[in-house]
Amino acid sequence: MKLYQRTIRELHQMLIDREISSVELTDAVLNQIDLVGDKTKAYLLVTRELALRQAQAADERLRAKRDVRPLTGIPIALKDVLCVRDVASTAGSKILGGFTPPYSATVVERLEGEGAVFLGKTNCDEFAMGSSNENSGYWPVHNPWSLDRVPGGSSGGSAAAVASGEAIAALGSDTGGSIRQPAALTGIVGMKPTYGRVSRYGLIAFASSLDQIGPMTRDVADGALLLQAIAGNDPRDSTSSSRPVPDYLATLTDGVKGMRLGVPKEYFVAGMEPAVEQSIRDAIRLLEQQGASIEEVSLPHSDVALPAYYIIAPAEASSNLARYDGTRYGFQAGGGRNLIEEYMLTRQQGFGAEVKRRIMLGTYALSSGYYDAYYLQAQKVRTLIIEDFKKAFEKVDALLGATSPTAAFELGAKTQDPVAMYLNDIITIPANLGNVCGISVPCGLVDGLPIGLQVIAPGFGEEVALRVAYAFEAATEFHRARSPLMGAAA
Amino acid sequence: MPEPESELSSREVEHVARLARLGITPEEVTRYRDQLRNILHHIEALNRADTSKVPATAHPLEERNVMREDRREPSLPAEAALRNAPSRDDSYFKVKAIQE
Repeated sequence: MKLYQRTIRELHQMLIDREISSVELTDAVLNQIDLVGDKTKAYLLVTRELALRQAQAADERLRAKRDVRPLTGIPIALKDVLCVRDVASTAGSKILGGFTPPYSATVVERLEGEGAVFLGKTNCDEFAMGSSNENSGYWPVHNPWSLDRVPGGSSGGSAAAVASGEAIAALGSDTGGSIRQPAALTGIVGMKPTYGRVSRYGLIAFASSLDQIGPMTRDVADGALLLQAIAGNDPRDSTSSSRPVPDYLATLTDGVKGMRLGVPKEYFVAGMEPAVEQSIRDAIRLLEQQGASIEEVSLPHSDVALPAYYIIAPAEASSNLARYDGTRYGFQAGGGRNLIEEYMLTRQQGFGAEVKRRIMLGTYALSSGYYDAYYLQAQKVRTLIIEDFKKAFEKVDALLGATSPTAAFELGAKTQDPVAMYLNDIITIPANLGNVCGISVPCGLVDGLPIGLQVIAPGFGEEVALRVAYAFEAATEFHRARSPLMGAAA
Repeated sequence: MPEPESELSSREVEHVARLARLGITPEEVTRYRDQLRNILHHIEALNRADTSKVPATAHPLEERNVMREDRREPSLPAEAALRNAPSRDDSYFKVKAIQE
């Protein structure tokens, strides 16, 4: 097996046994980027020199056996919404062209502390708004399983990098499904932690009450390791929780025997591909065979989660994105006769169509006369969704469903119809609004394209979601499937 | 609860774009009007939920009033804050005249 095909844990063992060096490993992954990067377009920027410098430092650490951590020497990709000091960070937007942050995100500093190696910044939908990566201000990403298909979004570059061997693991961000959906569509594991579990300091904001950073990995144990490294309170983010972080590996292999798992009937939505539904039903049966008790539950307000999200997220975005005015950083159009005209020209030329659409939708929903009918009503619906989950979790330990109603679709298939695009996130959005956590784990292939099982656990119950996902993974071979692109170069 | 306007007008699109400081062409006004109408039509489903006795949730935080000690800490040096500026004058961001 090639080095770039392996998991964090396998590589960690090889690194501490001195079987390989981090420089060799990093070279192998950079070489794979050279080979397939033009096909996936997963990266906006490859930080080759930084990676090799960090790999050398990691090798020093490994040689001296000094503070060797699970991620020491492991090459990781970062979604371009994460600020890395002195490294161009654009959130996939032209309006941040040329911006080099003067500080790093807390998660980036945490990974630096672990001795991880940064491969570069991965492509994404502009400001993380999208479900296919086609809203990138630079270029679309292609799915390593089938290059004419989307990788999902918005963390599609991170997903494609992990699925093609262009990274061992990656960080993404999830506001309405942007980690879980691309993970499902590229056959990897992706987790959205509970809001507040991971610091958002240095994450370029989309919707501040929903955004969370999370791991994208080859398997569940790697996800637990990466989450462990980034979770926890941060004085620089007052919304980060001070709850202690459990040892995620300690309970990972405890199995599902005796657990109560709920299946929300509303999650088998209209428009779900029959083969996806069949795989999910098979996955549920498998967990039952592993000793879990399965019961149908109801989350009655699931049907209004999507409309509530498409008020709340754009409303927050319209406010967050007001800062891009061409004054302090990024793109400036020039040519405006006065300040207001300069703002309007800069934002007209700097933002892409979907971002403009959401800014206008959010501005409209917050504007005088419409606030109560849209924004306030959406916030009330959010309360109902939180209560739905609370009631369900009185009866069961975790919930099971599909991550995405379909496998990866063809590039261009939904770009003309915003509403059709929004429907991709119909079963991932409730977890963001409901303040719970969710993980997607590979559960099959439909016509050669991967699909994902979603496990949702209560707020700050990441160890429960990981444990259920691990039990499923341990009983199946789906996570061992490698994309043709990762295999072909072997 | 008042019913939202079901049909968004071109004038409203222009107004919203102005509020959001987004330059917009006449063709875009029409395109965004139609797209936003369609999106708003789907969002009308929000009214299916009975929220008459439901409080609003603005954020999901458990913690309230997160405080820290009031002490001086190093902050971003002015030079670092200014280095991304498209135009600057000495240690200031330079902008166009606010009034002509």
